[in-house]
Amino acid sequence: MTDAAEFDFETEALSYMDQLYAAALRMTRNGADAEDLVQETFAKAFAAQDKFTPGTNLKAWLYRIQTNAFINSYRKKQREPKRSDADTVEDWQLAAAAEHTSSGLASAEQTALDSLGDDEVRRALSELSDDFRMAVYLSDVEGFAYKEIAEIMDTPVGTVMSRLHRGRKLLREKLRDYAAERGLYERTPVKKDKDGGACRA
Amino acid sequence: MRAVPKPECEEALDRLFEYIDHELPEDEIHQIGEHLKQCAPCEAEHKINEKIKRLVNRTGHDVAPEDLRARILTTIRATRPDGAT
Repeated sequence: MTDAAEFDFETEALSYMDQLYAAALRMTRNGADAEDLVQETFAKAFAAQDKFTPGTNLKAWLYRIQTNAFINSYRKKQREPKRSDADTVEDWQLAAAAEHTSSGLASAEQTALDSLGDDEVRRALSELSDDFRMAVYLSDVEGFAYKEIAEIMDTPVGTVMSRLHRGRKLLREKLRDYAAERGLYERTPVKKDKDGGACRA
Repeated sequence: MRAVPKPECEEALDRLFEYIDHELPEDEIHQIGEHLKQCAPCEAEHKINEKIKRLVNRTGHDVAPEDLRARILTTIRATRPDGAT
């Protein structure tokens, strides 16, 4: 019985290797570190496999181990990310409501987004702080639910939502900038109120 | 032309990411869906954010190098949790 369980664990866990590697690439931002991180993740997962309850979410469990390993070993090694956009809980709800632009501007932005390549999106992601980048990645690429992201990142669901809102807002601004640099999108000077909102009443 | 958001717009825009991420209960999905059908500026926001989510989704499909699996297997078989060596 034990043998069968162990065999399953190895097979099941390794089936997530590519996904964990892709995530590790986004986390560490370089191939060599990503490989080391994935190797460390599996070593830790196997050492702790008796703590895993079969039938629960193995993928989320592995992501949690990898996220912890990244925070504990790699992030310290790397240059400290700029904290200017760190997640202080701010009025992202107000910020969201501010984006209610005219349809002409919105369709120009949609067209510009269509012309951006994967490299530009990767670059924009890589410029986000670790916490924002991971939250956005876990939601958009892996499709984890907020509750799962909260467990993986060991943080309350409210913080996950705040990281997603702020991370995506920054990402959108960066993508607009890239599109503007390439002449794909003209930054129409929208009349702004003093809060920077485009059209709040 | 600048569109002035109404209270329904604020409600929809506040919940837009949760809507896109399928994190809302049925009744709210329905309510926001109905609003998006009727409000072009909110629908444009919805489309843009959904598009960005898809763009990010496309970036996550790197494949691990060939030898990584072998190295992982070597590591984990050297440290069996049941103590067997």
